[in-house]
Formats: sequence, C-alpha cells, structure tokens
Amino acid sequence: MTWKIDEEEKLLCRKCLDKALEQGASAIRITLNKCLMNELAVLNGYLDKVSQSGDRALTLNVFADGKYGTFSINRLDWKELEPFIVKAIETVKMLAPDECRKLPDPSRTIKNAVRGDELGLYDPAFSDFTPEKRLETALNLSSFEKMKEAAHGYSLISEEIVWCDSNYNNYIIDSNGLECMQTETAFEASMEITIQDEDGCKYSGYGWNASTHLADLETASIAETALRRAVAQIHPVQLESGSYNMVVENEVAAKLLNPVLAALNGYSLQQQNSFLTDSEGKQIFSEGFTLMDVSAEAGKNGARLFDSEGVAYPSSPVIEKGKVCRYFINTYISGKMGILPTVEDCARPKIMPYLPATAEKAEKGSVENISLKDILELCKNGIFVTGFNGGNSDPVTGDFSYGVEGFKIEEGRIGAPVRGMVITGNLITLWKQLLAAGSDWRPCMNKQIPSLAFKDVDFSA
Amino acid sequence: MINIQQYYLDTFQVTVPELEKIIGIIQDQGSNYADLFFENTSYRDLLLKDGEVSSGGFHVDYGVGIRALKGDKTGYAYSENTDMASMVNAAKAASSIATGVRINATTAAMIDKPTKAYPGKPNPLADRYPMLADWRDCPTSDFLPILQKLKAKIEAKDPRIIKIIAILSTQVSDLLMFNSSYELKYETRPLATLAVSVICKSGEKVLNTHVSRSYRMGFEMLSDHLLDEIAEAAVRNIDDKLEAKRPKGGQMPVVLGAGASGILLHEAMGHAFEADFNRKGQSIFADKMGQKVCDSCINVVDDGTIRGNRGALNFDDEGVPAQRTYMIKDGVLASYLHDRISAKYYDVAPTGNGRRESFRYNPIPRMRATYMESAGSQPADIIASVKKGIYVDEFTNGQVKIGEGDFTFYVKSGYLIENGKLTQPINDVNIIGNGPKALADIVAVGNDNKVDESGWTCGKEQNVPVSCGMPTVLVKNLTVGGN
Repeated sequence: MTWKIDEEEKLLCRKCLDKALEQGASAIRITLNKCLMNELAVLNGYLDKVSQSGDRALTLNVFADGKYGTFSINRLDWKELEPFIVKAIETVKMLAPDECRKLPDPSRTIKNAVRGDELGLYDPAFSDFTPEKRLETALNLSSFEKMKEAAHGYSLISEEIVWCDSNYNNYIIDSNGLECMQTETAFEASMEITIQDEDGCKYSGYGWNASTHLADLETASIAETALRRAVAQIHPVQLESGSYNMVVENEVAAKLLNPVLAALNGYSLQQQNSFLTDSEGKQIFSEGFTLMDVSAEAGKNGARLFDSEGVAYPSSPVIEKGKVCRYFINTYISGKMGILPTVEDCARPKIMPYLPATAEKAEKGSVENISLKDILELCKNGIFVTGFNGGNSDPVTGDFSYGVEGFKIEEGRIGAPVRGMVITGNLITLWKQLLAAGSDWRPCMNKQIPSLAFKDVDFSA
Repeated sequence: MINIQQYYLDTFQVTVPELEKIIGIIQDQGSNYADLFFENTSYRDLLLKDGEVSSGGFHVDYGVGIRALKGDKTGYAYSENTDMASMVNAAKAASSIATGVRINATTAAMIDKPTKAYPGKPNPLADRYPMLADWRDCPTSDFLPILQKLKAKIEAKDPRIIKIIAILSTQVSDLLMFNSSYELKYETRPLATLAVSVICKSGEKVLNTHVSRSYRMGFEMLSDHLLDEIAEAAVRNIDDKLEAKRPKGGQMPVVLGAGASGILLHEAMGHAFEADFNRKGQSIFADKMGQKVCDSCINVVDDGTIRGNRGALNFDDEGVPAQRTYMIKDGVLASYLHDRISAKYYDVAPTGNGRRESFRYNPIPRMRATYMESAGSQPADIIASVKKGIYVDEFTNGQVKIGEGDFTFYVKSGYLIENGKLTQPINDVNIIGNGPKALADIVAVGNDNKVDESGWTCGKEQNVPVSCGMPTVLVKNLTVGGN
C-alpha cells in the first residue's frame, strides 16, 4: 500500500495557500504531514496486539498584518478547510503584532528536495510488505520458549516484542515560492525481557534496531541483547557516594547531549533561558568535544534536507574542539536577537571520536576507531552507565541531577551491576571533563552519539 | 454539559444502525468484544511572550478509533474520516487480531468468560466538568486581556523578574462511544491549562520558576482569584530559591510536603498498580494483592470523581463510570487499576481506568487523580521529628521502572532539615528509591492532604492528564543526589 503525498493533495495545499492570501494573509506556509504506520506486539510468543494507523494533518503558519498564528486540522475536505482558513485569518488579526514574524528568505530555503526521495530514505519494499509477511516477521523474532528453557539462576517472566513499519511524508510550500518534500520509510523491532531472580527481584532488559530499509534491518541480536541486559543486573551492589570516572553507553548517551542542544536553541537564548548565552565563538567545553551537523547525510536514519521552515541543513560543526561554532537560529529568533539566521535545529548531530593525546591509541595516531573496550580501559576504574532513570537539568544554570544504573568498572573491565545512584553536576563542567568519545555510533539512531567517558563525576548512593 | 444524543451522532455524521453494522462486521470476524470511540477535539493555544500575546492558534482533531478484542488480544485501527467506507476498512484492519492467529490457553479462557458488572449505571450526567462557558464559543480576543492582566500581576510582585512567558491551552472534546454490549455513551469533555514561566535575575544569579493550574472547566476558570494564585505561586519563596544550594547527597530521611509530593505515589506505586503490567507479570506488585505493604494509617486512592479536577471523568474512555478506587486500604494492597481487558483477566469489575490520549490510541489502564488520604500527624511535628534530612515541596517530573520498582523524582526546591528545623534552601536534586520499600519506610502521615492542581501529564505510552496529591509525609530513608 502506498501512502505518498499525491498531486491531488499538493493541489489542495496550493488551494489553501491561495485562499489564505485571498483572505488577507500577507504570507503563509502550508505543511502537509502524512504517515501510515503498522504495529504488531507479540507477548511470550503469541500475537498480543495489531494496530494500523493512517494520519494526514495540514498545518498553516499564517502571517497577517504583522501578526502570526499556527493552525492545524486533520479534516482535509474543502468544505471543512475553507471556513477553517477564514477563521484562522480572523484569529491571527486579533493577536498583537510582532514584526519579527516572517517567512525565511528564499535564498536560504531548500531547492533540491522536490521528489521527496532525494536522501534515499524510502524503501519500495514497504508497499509490498503484506500483513501476512509482517505477522510472520514479528512472530519469528520471539525466542521465548528457547530462553525459558535455557534460564538458570532466574526465571523468564515475559518477552514483549514490538514490530513497527511506517511511511512518513512531509510536504511544505510557502507564499515565497518554497516547495519541498521528504518521504521516508522505517522498520523497527524492539524487545523487552523481564526476568525474576531467585530472591524474587525483577529486572528488565531492552534490545532494538531500526532501519530505513527492510533488507538492512538486523534483528538476530535483539533477543540476546535484551536478555543479556536483564540478566546482567542480577545481584546489584551498593557503591559508596563519591567522585568516579563515568563511561556512558552509546545507547543512552544522548541524555547528556540533549540539554546542550536545547541550550543552543534560539528560543532558549532569546528568553535568557540557556546556560550557553554569549557562548558563540568561545571555547566552552573540552577540546575533545566536536559535534557535527550531519543532518543531510544521505541514506542515514534521521537524515533530513530541510527544517520545518524549509531551510536547508548545512554540513558543518556546531561545536568544534570545545568551541561553540553556531546556535540554532530560525527566521523569527534571528529578527528578535538581531543576529543572522542558521537552521532551527540539528536533525542528526554526531559527536566525533576523541582520545586524549596520552592514550596509547592516540600516540599511535589511531583515533578513528575507538571501541567501548578502549574507553573502559582508558578509564580503568569507575562506573559504566547503561541507563538513566529520570532526573532533570536546569536550563539556566546547566545544573543537573539524573538517576542512573549500570556497572562498576574495575581495571578496565565491566564488573558488578550498580543501581539506585544519582549523578549530579553542571553540564558545562561535565563536558569540560570529557575524557574520550568512541566511534561506536549505532547506525539506527538519529543522534549519532558514541560511548562517552567523563572524568570525576559526582555519584550519590 | 451537552447531553443530547443526536448532537453527537450529527457531529460524527453517523446513525445508531451504522454503529451496529460496524460492530457486527468486527464480531463476524471472530472478536468477542468490539468498541468504537469517536472524537472531535478543538484545541486552542495562546502564548504571551516579550510582553505581548503575539502567537496563538487552534487545531482540530477528528476521527474514530475502532477496537476488536479476542480474549486479552487487541486489534486497533482508526480513521480520520467517519464515512461508512472508511470505518469498514478500519474495522477490518482491527479484526485481523481475530482471524487465523494462534492463541494460548489464557486467551481462550477469556473469550467465553463473562464480564463482571461495574458498580453503578453508566451516567453521562455525572457532570464532573463544570463548563458554564464553552471555550469553543469564546473569541480569542476575550483571552488577550486576561493574559495581560496575569503578566501585570506577576510583574508587580518582584522587580527582579526579567521574563514572563504565559501559555493558555484549552481543549474541548465531543466524544461518542459505542460497544458490542450496545452501550452508547456521549459527552463533552473540557480541559484547560494556564502555565507561567518566570525568569528572575538577582546579581549574577538567574532563577527559572514554572507554575501551572489545570482544570476540567470552562472559560469561567480564568477568574481573578486564579490569576492571583498563579502570580503568588510564581514568586513564592523567591529569595530562598535564589539562595538555594544543592545539598550533600546520600541516604537520609525525606519529608515530602503536602500536595505535589503525590508524584511519589504516582511513580512509586501507581504505575505498578496499573493492571496491564500485572497481567503480564512484570510489576513488582504482581503477586502482592491482599498483602500488608505499609503502615495501617496509609490509604491510597485513585480518584476519577473530583469535580473539575484534571484527572476527573464522568466515564472512562471505554464507557465505564469513573470511580474512587482504593489501591491501598489500611496498609493493605486492595485493588489494581483496571481497564476492561485486565478486569476480565482478574475476574473483577473494571475500575474506570481505561484511558487513551485520543482516538489514535487503544485504551489501557491509567491513573486519574492519585493521592494519599490524610492521617493523624501535625505537619510541624513531622518536620520537628527529623534531626538531619531534607524537606521537599516542588517537583518537576518523575519516572519508574515497573519491574524493579525503582523510581526517581526531581526536586525543584526544598530545605535542609537540621535538628527539626527548616534551614538552608536547596534545589535541583533527584530523589530515588524503590516503590515497595519507600512505602514501607513511611513512618508519619500528616493531616493535611492536598491534591495538587498543576498540569501533570503522565506519559506511559500515551499522554493523559492526571493529578496527584499527598499529605505531609516522612519517609525514613531515600537516596538524595547531591554534591
């Protein structure tokens, strides 16, 4: 089944644009999102849930008389849309003017995203993936009976599998002549295993993988990963509070980058709600911290050619050797702050590998291939964090406190499991203490964050 | 409260015979239960920033969710159109759960098991949503002076305020539900939240505070009294907060202040009581029903009956009347929180906890307003009983691992307790613990239960509005993240 945006829908968008201008809008952007998703859940080897969803939603960013509003509707009949647009324009005119609300200059918007498949993220196999094939694929992921028989020292409580495949389409036009489209497919399999040890304590482990193309989706290791993660937590030990080297697994390391990305966002900066105010062009973090914007990397999960304004993503550093190179500034924030616009975010950030000059591998000039094992050996002793359990950070100060779980690192090797711990500190200080960054990015993740190591992190237990 | 059946049928352009036909199609495919959930929601939001209400909009979300059950197995599909052809397609997609799929003994047993009747009759007139003025009937221009007034009230409180952001979000949903027991329910469900973020600067120190109030009410909610309350809360204890420091971490007694501390209940035990986790054997409370887990003075309730509360419901999203459900009664585990599937599995009546974010989601067991009832201690005595520990009263979020029972919640502000007195203000700490252990470690419960009226949203698979509450409580030992 195909779910791509068709010519009729494009014409409908154009009709909405014309109607808004006719009603008094000075400028308008129309975005059509369309998504088809199929999901199957398998519990303990038996199908537990089937769901299918098909969504279409039209969003109007309306500019009128120097005023601005955002409106959306999922009823795409013209008899519904026409009065909706009329009411939207009337509503915008009631708001206070803000001269900074504008469409992006056409020179900044994308020109080469017309077909939607330019990034190679659409798999034609999606259309041929029948319900029968989907069911067979999901059921074949189950290892419940096998794992149940093999369990020693614990019992298997449940195995939950979720299979999901989707086709997402995004089409944008504006009254300055922008027209761009992206279409992509996604295939994703995940498994959560819950076990119970001999003392009655329960532990769960998670494994997953995703790909834009069905043929590239590797699922063989998911069950093994989920079970290994669950079993490894049995018999946790309590550590003393103190300062430890911390290694963070690639799977969860984005938790520490997300607040940095938020602090680079123009909205946060303009509202003085960022711990990176006045940081542009300055050395803020460790020299080992380089963050690239690889949003437009073809064929990769999470890749995009343009942001929600239709502005083209650049391929350039956001942070280079600890220096903040650029903020995420959209057209509106550019006007508010009186600075040049960039793009509104980074769809696919990538942290580059790093080892201190004193590390053996660095001395040999081999810093492009850094494994988790290399990083653990570099840290020697400390704590390997494999999961975050809640917590928060203060956007103004960068002070953070996160619940964590993981393992002791003893002489460069993973030791006993630890849980019930909290790390605290300040995000600028933390990233100044970056010891190493691996090259073990997971291809299935939008954010390309490798395993990371930080020096002297405060743990409370 | 609109209560005319035809209004809802007209809204979704359907007739009762058509609803019956769709249900019949699902049953013909082998499902033993089916339901339809129609929704037409109008959202509106307005943003005051940089002194002006210069951004806003409205949004329309319309569609029908169609569910087919075979025992405890779920088939679900939805359509954004409610014409017969679209609904038949969705019904067939949902019905695939019942066709040619291998089932286990549990599922087979559930197919023929009768459903236990829930207490009380379906009552669309329970009228738990006071809405004298429907948000949909109020022009946007009516809201602008109110947001400006709120800004002025906050500004007048403290000269150190440098930024104010106020967001008014409203939604009104027309809902129609029909199921294979031929129960037809309909109602109009409002929800509105007024939230404020304030940034203060004092010397080099910058402080960010956030306050919200949320109710299932109409436009009359925006009273001067509410604006005064929000303005006051936005600057409450601001001097202390500017002086706050992160405390030394470690294990210590923690006094949870009345109100928002209810997040402890929500995270530490509420989720583990949602019966879907228990049905799968994953919850840490899966085998503890009827057991004594904490002091006899402790009673914990999940309540959908508080009029105007963010978690209030006349009936849940499966059409089951909302109830007041004791999860813990006199220290003993008394009930899980059930949707129709888990109730049938456990052979009990559904508790009215089957909720969903929208027609795009199938209902699952979810909390409503979860709180601990008051007991006998004076709050001041509870604080005085602690030699060295912390008192916490403002929170931002929390999380739990259902199987392990490990929970965390983030404390925005509080105080050190030294020799029974509140001393140094503290901030930005994470408190972690284990649900059953934390419950067992509650050694004093105050007489001041308060249900917090902030805009809490629970994000278990889907987002639903909830609220939480707690009297002042002393937990003798929790881990506090600190320096």
